[in-house]
Amino acid sequence: MLKLEEINAYYGDLQALWGISMEVNEGELVALIGPNGAGKTTTLRVITGLLKPTSGGVRFHDHHLGKEPAHKIVELGISQVPEGGRIFTGMSVLENLELGAFVANARRVKDQSLKWVYEIFPRLEERKNQRAGTLSGGERQMLAIGRALMSKPRLLLLDEPSFGLAPILVEHIFEMIREINRQGVTVLLVEQNVRAALELANRAYVIENGRIVGQGVHEDLLSFESVRSAYLG
Amino acid sequence: MTVKKIISIALLVVGVAALALVPTVVESESIINLLIMILIYTMLASSWNILGGYTGQINLGHAAFFGLGTLATRLLYTEGFPLFPSLLAGGVVAVAFAMLIGIPAFRLRLRGDYFTIGTLALAQILYVTVGNVLPKITYLPIEDIQNYELDPRYYVILALALLTIGVAYVLVKSRLGLGMMAVREDEDAAESLGVNALKHKLLALAVSAFLGGLAGGAYAYYQTSYYFNYTFTPPWSLDTLTMAFVGGRGTIIGPIVGAVFFVVLKEWLVLNVGEYHLIVFGVLFILVVLFLPGGLVEAWERIKQVLTRRSRRGEFELLPQEES
Amino acid sequence: MLAAVAQSLAFGILVGALYGLAAVGLNLVFGVTRFLNVAHGELLMFGGYASFWLFTLYGVDPFASIPLSILFLLLIGLLLYKVLFSRMVKLPEGDKIRNTLLVGFGLGLILQNVALRLWTADDRGITPPYAGEAFTILGVRFPIVRVASLVIAFVFLFALQLFLRRTYTGKAIRATVEDWEAATLMGINVHSVYLLAFVMGAALAGVAGTLVSVGYSIEPAMGMHWTLKSLIVMVMGGLGNMTGTFVGGLILGVTESATSILISGNYRQVVGLVIFILVLLFRPQGLFGTKEG
Repeated sequence: MLKLEEINAYYGDLQALWGISMEVNEGELVALIGPNGAGKTTTLRVITGLLKPTSGGVRFHDHHLGKEPAHKIVELGISQVPEGGRIFTGMSVLENLELGAFVANARRVKDQSLKWVYEIFPRLEERKNQRAGTLSGGERQMLAIGRALMSKPRLLLLDEPSFGLAPILVEHIFEMIREINRQGVTVLLVEQNVRAALELANRAYVIENGRIVGQGVHEDLLSFESVRSAYLG
Repeated sequence: MTVKKIISIALLVVGVAALALVPTVVESESIINLLIMILIYTMLASSWNILGGYTGQINLGHAAFFGLGTLATRLLYTEGFPLFPSLLAGGVVAVAFAMLIGIPAFRLRLRGDYFTIGTLALAQILYVTVGNVLPKITYLPIEDIQNYELDPRYYVILALALLTIGVAYVLVKSRLGLGMMAVREDEDAAESLGVNALKHKLLALAVSAFLGGLAGGAYAYYQTSYYFNYTFTPPWSLDTLTMAFVGGRGTIIGPIVGAVFFVVLKEWLVLNVGEYHLIVFGVLFILVVLFLPGGLVEAWERIKQVLTRRSRRGEFELLPQEES
Repeated sequence: MLAAVAQSLAFGILVGALYGLAAVGLNLVFGVTRFLNVAHGELLMFGGYASFWLFTLYGVDPFASIPLSILFLLLIGLLLYKVLFSRMVKLPEGDKIRNTLLVGFGLGLILQNVALRLWTADDRGITPPYAGEAFTILGVRFPIVRVASLVIAFVFLFALQLFLRRTYTGKAIRATVEDWEAATLMGINVHSVYLLAFVMGAALAGVAGTLVSVGYSIEPAMGMHWTLKSLIVMVMGGLGNMTGTFVGGLILGVTESATSILISGNYRQVVGLVIFILVLLFRPQGLFGTKEG
């Protein structure tokens, strides 16, 4: 479904990604794990078009993403929950969700999507007219995910959903991510929280210093020093 | 002493000497008048440049300093005060006013753009107030009008212009100048390096105001009659800005080039396309802001680069390829 | 005496509504795009001239000419955006504000002189047949034309708020103001949002211009004057706060009248500028704004 081929990306003169290649198949829940600054968010930015790679390509369902402007990516079925959620705090919960369904095809089925999101995150329905800025950390993350779901994505990208959340909330959120995946949305999860990510995902890639250094399932990855220390540490 | 430096100094000496000799060689009064205007405009552009070009604080109301200079000098001179104290007073009054506004503004860490639009408002306030308090025309003292002598005025103004450029040069080359440029580039980074942004901004403001006031004093000495609030009008601010930008702010020679270019072009345009000259300047200004922020000086540098690269092409091919 | 004061205050409110409308236009542009277009006043001036010539040449009632004025300014705004301002979209915020300020400066110069060449420096005004009519309440005279302008200004403010609150596009605009990258992830084309905000701001200036031409007078040099008024009121009202800005306009109008009575008519213009500087120094988030700057 999603294929990254030898992506090289720069921030100005600084190379951030070196020959990144990875694949996500339909229905999978794949994790991209690695330490802080490894290039995880950068990789996501390349996929969503906020950062253009200098070489290599991103293919989504055999559609080459290189030329697409960032705002078109959503129409193709890829939706991202950015790091920290980045909800529109000055607007209400409902308005945030509505904006998630901004693109034409999503707007048509907005009410349906809303129902779906409320099913997964009933708390959002309770607070639907509240200003998003008044929500707690966990609720904001839920809103961010819910907002991304409103565009009825085929592929959902999550950037550090556990960030800043208490462990019990992390468990809760991850449970919902699992549910979302079960309902047919392919998920690519970027995480620093190795433990939670590995428990959730079918497969994971390990990224360090802008390079993919390994991939596999749970047990395979434990052989990596960094993974192990993160897991046990 | 490099060859380049010797040539520069020689050119400078020749240039100044030539300017000094003009009144003895040239008969035409209109040429001397033109040169005087160029000199005054040079003073305006150079003084603006110290705050705007080097320190990065854009002042849209430089006419305030110019106007205050004309006001102080004129009032004193027509009351019988000798010339040089009057001129000095022009500069001093401008600085006093600048500090009155600048200290609270910079102290409160006013963002650069707030300062800029604030200067616009300030100049307007002065213009209206002076127009209300002194709504009349000011004339040079009778004796000066009856025995109006252009040459001594030319020399005084030439001296003032050279003084202005000299002060600018010395300031810019000093450590203070370095600090000002650091503030322009990134105020926070400069602070973290130990540059006291407030001090540098205030200093630049003071010098800019003083020299701008001197330019005003020069005008007050030169111009026979004008409305008191004429020197506070927006065109003085706009023209200054245009000259500094088009010439090349952030350089010493830029304002000079800008002033010459401006006056000459204006004369030419007025003769050929009449009142459209302001439109031409507006377009030039926009083009500079969008495409050539370094002004004519930058354009000249680029041309030089292209020319030297052409003639040295053979040399370059011998050098190893650099990764871009 | 009291009647004179009341009259002056009434006039203050009436003109204040136009200050508010003009400032709302600038606030929309600046709030969304961070373009500080100081040629805003010149756009207003062009709106006024559009209505003036429609009236003088074709007898179009000034209030009826508002849609045409809007159309005219939408086109001019589109042209200016495509040719000039779109080049500055990608700049970091500080540079963007500064460069658009400078470009606006040059643009204002150009527009002012184009108007001067085309239409001379003469004061122009529209005097429709009902110009002299007024209704009087408690001895205070309210010219119909100016009252109608107040109402129209209110209507536009209201319409704008509705647009921003209720429509998808309006919400997209508000989202872009908050976080343009997140907005992009929703599929919102930020460039389109910028363009829309810019031309809408220009259109509002045009409406204000039309109202100025019928209630007061217009001439090519008025641009700077109105830009300053818009800036003052925008800063008073606070960034992004449309209603606060409009109210700020009314406050300015009344304050000017009060100054005129208490000090002298000559200092009418000065008080606004002084308030401006005071607000900039001590309360840059505006009288009604929240700490954001």
